[in-house]
Amino acid sequence: VTSCDHLLRLAAALAPHDIRGSWLREWRAEIAYAQRRQDDATLVVRCLGAFVHAAWLRWDRWRIEMLVQDLKYALRTLTRKPGFAAVTILTLAVGIGANAAIFSAVRAVVFRPLPFPQPGQIVQISSTKAQGPQYYGGAASPPDYTDWRTNSASFSEMAAISAGSIPWSGHGPAEQVPSANVTGGFFNVLGVAPMYGRAIGYEDDAMGAPDVVVVSHELWTRRLGSDPSVIGRTMMLDGITRRIVGIMPAGLSYPLGTELWIPLRFSSDVLATQRGAHYLDVIARLRPDVARDAAQAEMSTVVRQLAATYPRTNGNKGVAIFGLREAMVGNVRPALLVLLGAVGFVMLIVCVNVASLGLTRAVGRSRELAVRAALGAGRSRLINAMLVESVVLAAAGGVAGLLLANWAAQGLAALDSTLGIPMLDETRVDRAVLLFTALVSLSAALLFGTVPAWHAASRLDVVQRIREGAGTLTAGKERQRLRAGLIVLETALAVVLLVGAGLMMRSFLRMTGVDLGIDTARVQTFSVSLPETKYSTPESRALSVDTLLTRLSANPDVEAVGAVAGLPLTRFSHGYTTSTLDGRTLSDAEQDARTVQVRVVTPQYFQVLGIPVVRGRTFAEADRLGSATVAVVDERAAAVLWPQGDALGHRFELGTRLGQNGRRAGGEVIGIARPVHELGPAGPLRPTVYLAHAQFPVDFITVTMKARADEAALVEPARTVLADFDPDLPMFRVRSMEQLAAGAVAQPRLYFTLILLFAGAAMLLAAIGIYGVLMHAVSQRTREIGIRLALGASRHEVVTGVVCHAALLASAGLGLGVLFALGATRYVRSLLFQIQPTDAVTYVSVAAGLLLVAVIASYLPARRASCIDPATALRNE
Amino acid sequence: VRRLSVTSVSVLRAIADGFEYGFDVIDRTGLPSGTVYPALSRLERDGYARSAWEDEQRAFREGRPARRYYRITAPGTRALDDALRYYRTLLPLGRRQEPS
Repeated sequence: VTSCDHLLRLAAALAPHDIRGSWLREWRAEIAYAQRRQDDATLVVRCLGAFVHAAWLRWDRWRIEMLVQDLKYALRTLTRKPGFAAVTILTLAVGIGANAAIFSAVRAVVFRPLPFPQPGQIVQISSTKAQGPQYYGGAASPPDYTDWRTNSASFSEMAAISAGSIPWSGHGPAEQVPSANVTGGFFNVLGVAPMYGRAIGYEDDAMGAPDVVVVSHELWTRRLGSDPSVIGRTMMLDGITRRIVGIMPAGLSYPLGTELWIPLRFSSDVLATQRGAHYLDVIARLRPDVARDAAQAEMSTVVRQLAATYPRTNGNKGVAIFGLREAMVGNVRPALLVLLGAVGFVMLIVCVNVASLGLTRAVGRSRELAVRAALGAGRSRLINAMLVESVVLAAAGGVAGLLLANWAAQGLAALDSTLGIPMLDETRVDRAVLLFTALVSLSAALLFGTVPAWHAASRLDVVQRIREGAGTLTAGKERQRLRAGLIVLETALAVVLLVGAGLMMRSFLRMTGVDLGIDTARVQTFSVSLPETKYSTPESRALSVDTLLTRLSANPDVEAVGAVAGLPLTRFSHGYTTSTLDGRTLSDAEQDARTVQVRVVTPQYFQVLGIPVVRGRTFAEADRLGSATVAVVDERAAAVLWPQGDALGHRFELGTRLGQNGRRAGGEVIGIARPVHELGPAGPLRPTVYLAHAQFPVDFITVTMKARADEAALVEPARTVLADFDPDLPMFRVRSMEQLAAGAVAQPRLYFTLILLFAGAAMLLAAIGIYGVLMHAVSQRTREIGIRLALGASRHEVVTGVVCHAALLASAGLGLGVLFALGATRYVRSLLFQIQPTDAVTYVSVAAGLLLVAVIASYLPARRASCIDPATALRNE
Repeated sequence: VRRLSVTSVSVLRAIADGFEYGFDVIDRTGLPSGTVYPALSRLERDGYARSAWEDEQRAFREGRPARRYYRITAPGTRALDDALRYYRTLLPLGRRQEPS
């Protein structure tokens, strides 16, 4: 019992002072009570718990008291300097808001798991070249897909997809609906069960199986009145009556935008002859015990075997397996990550700026801190108090930033359709973004709070501080250096962003300066798909298109009307090999080397889009079914097909009949056209041949109308004409060429705008930082400058001193920043067009601009310094 | 409101069952003193229990100093019920009965 009492007295030292007496009394009473019932060893063990109890009480008390005290203190000091608090919170809000917004977009596009069970097991199998870089979405042919599926064991399910759109008629106005033809395993790969009815299954793969369709939740609610009894009803799709067998749950839209799923079937004829026809996307679900690398190895073996068996079509084929998410967004991923990096830089700059502000304030508060230290506050106490202040500021900045981010995220989500960034429309502030914001805010608090706190508390020379605070001493050189260092760092970070923005601006200007080879002004377009059931013969298709165009041209506002299968700037791609030149059959290698893009057009097409036919003629009324086939080739195709000599008058045939039974596509070259940047300004120029629609009447065309005045005014009259012509033909993809041209550079424009915005903010912050340092330096040196002026220094010399100070800070930042930028800008290489990451013009402009800004920022401080009156300055001492 | 931890539930339950003194709670729950006492202090801080000194006369008659006892409060009773209800849902099916 005596030893217990010793222990208790020792432990009591840990307990808070004011309750120590009653604490000891309680423990002693318990020991006295227990000693009659329990042995000594048990009692001693129990007494050890008293240490834990006392320590807990002390810690609990300290935690609450200190936190409350520090919070109160922080709020009091911040409200006393509302200007400082407002500037800090606003700066932080911009930084945190921009970060949270970009993060929410990156999360929606790159990180948020796809809404399927075990999404990590779903992969896309891409048919690629045997050598060279692996790329996403390389399409497979039906026989290849079937062989892949039969010969691989790594996947529990595999499915082929052919996405497109399909006209739906007989149910209100005809509509073109985004659709996908899928094989039986499709929904098993995704792991999604229908909400009503059944999904497409293997029984639907058989030729001759019933014509069925599965409907998306979106279409079901939009056009079918959310009525479950639509199961069993029929839809007239592309002239074929299909029975609705299932309705998918909300949120399922794969391939993106799909509203109808239709069975995809391969006839034995297709499987026997179409090994070279690559148009299928293939997805698969990995077996749970198989890693992606193992699946890749197995598929590579399968593909090599196919290459050995079918060297003509598969000789140079490879295969690559990507995660489905990666395959969906792989192309925009680097750009988004660059943006995230850029916005991270902005946040760093914000932190440095706020730290520098805090440092200035800490200088102003050195007297107060010294007094607190003199009254017994330990260093950790002071650091704690200042950190709590930082956390309060960061929390306020975080909340304000979140409001900004929410607003910006809504804006980003609304951008979706024109940009072609998949799933950007799902951008929203969710729990992960909240967590991210909290983390960023907290890290910011630590980043910008630690420097001033540590600095303020590190040298608690009370006497010196009190005198300094009273203004009788100039501030320590060390502190000045620290602030200058921060500003140099901030400037360096700004330089990186400015260089990035400069490079992207120059790249963007180059891009918009490219002559696309077409005149996009006043051209309206829309697409029409002729159902095979109704327009089954080439004659009927040729005649229909001809009639439609004639009726459209009757509108007096229309200058000219043409049509094309494969409108420029729509990422359309139809490449075919050339099989004969002037009657000579080419070898396999020669055929492959002469792959050309095929566009089927009507005679007026060249006029509508302003594509110059520089030699020969365009198509004429006489070039029709039955007459000798003719073609217009662009200068690229002419150079590829007849490298020596003139293409005019020569004949060629392609390895396709374009679905028109009978003649191979091709003909005698009657004209040479200027090349067109079909894939946008940054895309390659591909050799292209034009065939006459009257001779090769394909069923899918885009009508192009040149307006005399406003192209948008042509849409409604055209809709009436089309409905009049055939009410079952929906008008879809209604776009002007100007819209398409803007869309072709929309992504670079967005990236460039955002980076420019970030760089602008960075530049502004750097300028404010330089201004703040100089202003503070001048106010701290008032006495010194006064003495100098009194001793005969000219005002000009004083001003020069301040401006040189600014230039020195900016130059140091510039030097460091250029080094950073040289390292960082290689990550933006993939986003640049005809500009090197080391582009000298950009670097020089940024340097000049930054120095100019620094000099402007030094104007006010310099003026203040030059206005110091020596007498007043010295009298104030 | 935060749900009570298993420790807090054990301690509060012991108090509610009439084991009102610190060491009695330790005996009842089998938890170490370094766990029970901080739990008692925390419960008191949060308003789930309150403490007072026992009658001096009675302690004197038994020849020992007066002990501090703990009583459960109305919010404590509610929180305990709530926590017990929750923890019971974690029991395997078929064993969802009042813990003894």
